[in-house]
Amino acid sequence: MTDYKANETLDCRGLSCPMPILKTKKTIGTMKSGQILEILGTDPGTKNDLPAFAKRGGHEYLGEKQDEGFSRFYIKVK
Amino acid sequence: MSQDKEESALMDMLRRGYGAVFYENWPIWLGGVLLGIMSVITFAWARPWGVVGGLRNWGDWFFKGIGLYSQTPASPLLSTNSLIVLGLLWGSFASALLSKQFAIRMAPPFELLKGAVGGILMGIGAAMAGGCNVGGFYSAIGALSLSGIAMMIGLIMGAYLGLRYVYWELEHITTGSAGGSIDSGAGKGLNFLAAEPYIGVLAVLAAIVFTWIYADMALTREGVLALCGVAIGIIIQRTRLCFVRAFRDPFMTGEAEVPRAVAISIIIVILGSAALKWTGLRDEMVYVPQAFWLGGLVGGIIFGFGMVIAGGCGSGSVWRAGEGQIKLMLAVAFFSLTVSLAERAIDASQALTALMGHRVFLPHYIGYRWSIIALIVVLLIYYLITTWNEKTEKFMVEM
Repeated sequence: MTDYKANETLDCRGLSCPMPILKTKKTIGTMKSGQILEILGTDPGTKNDLPAFAKRGGHEYLGEKQDEGFSRFYIKVK
Repeated sequence: MSQDKEESALMDMLRRGYGAVFYENWPIWLGGVLLGIMSVITFAWARPWGVVGGLRNWGDWFFKGIGLYSQTPASPLLSTNSLIVLGLLWGSFASALLSKQFAIRMAPPFELLKGAVGGILMGIGAAMAGGCNVGGFYSAIGALSLSGIAMMIGLIMGAYLGLRYVYWELEHITTGSAGGSIDSGAGKGLNFLAAEPYIGVLAVLAAIVFTWIYADMALTREGVLALCGVAIGIIIQRTRLCFVRAFRDPFMTGEAEVPRAVAISIIIVILGSAALKWTGLRDEMVYVPQAFWLGGLVGGIIFGFGMVIAGGCGSGSVWRAGEGQIKLMLAVAFFSLTVSLAERAIDASQALTALMGHRVFLPHYIGYRWSIIALIVVLLIYYLITTWNEKTEKFMVEM
């Protein structure tokens, strides 16, 4: 996966459903169109929930990257 | 083709099959269908699927251990209540390993507190409703009990209130981060993640050996029930079928995938257990809680609020605990202690027991045919309303 340069990073490590989605929604609300949000997470559910959330909101889900003990997810704001 | 090539083609096929089952997401509707079938098999084998009975059994043991209860509870290794939950825990643990998703996941302190408080509320709610989202709602409606519908209405209301609280919390409380998972593998010689599927296979084999040994001890009924629990655990972990989402999502994101899956699932259980009861193969009053309507409704509201803040219901907390989430382990522990105390308090008081309501087995009032039709219609209405809301977002609560 290509490296994305995130405009903002949201640390959701240790949080479980529904907090990562809600925090993402809140953060995206403060961002500009075309900006990239990076979300750090440890909940396996986030892997399913974020793409679905992005699709519903019309944002672009860019992908996921594994790090040491957590994942990095990337969403491009509508 | 040479033998080598045939072998590598076979290996390739197996590897891809494994990937499809354990690394890729299963559709949620499939989870609903499989869970419904598995619930009917469980009931046909011995008894309906439930969670709270097992949690209560463990809580009873705790209070017996500290000297609060004088009576000795049933052995957790013999009680079907307990075995089916142990199976669920073990199955989700094995499934998380097989799909490389097991990790001890620490949560920030405030989240841990929410897990504990959510567990306590679920314990109180389940005691009132005569079961959690499984025994009080899912299996209860499946068993043609009217209190399941009362709890359904309560769960919808409770989930709504819980979501309002979570929104409030987002504005007023900062939870912080817990960093990465504890066993991130950094600096360790052994790559735990790569070894997980092998340990998972061992866990599944252990479950089969367990059932085998139980059968040899003339405990086939108990052993297979535990294995049914394991199958349910694998299905739920792989599909991440979550009853919290069935009630919360319509208000939160508007998505209706999970409500639809749960509605289909319960319809399957209704058809299966109606067959078992109607033909007289199973006792009619099995899984008809004495909770119509106040216990079911109020218990549902309290339970619904608790499950949203805990981030897991009766079954959901158990399978997420099996996946290594500390917050949900706490929720299960507090749930089990509270439900033991609360059920005991209700049992001890005639006034409280009467207040919870009556045991209403619907076919005694309107016959089997109309009961089956009426309950299926209620679930189809839920299916249709949540799907309609998915398009219109009429019930969605803005942050």
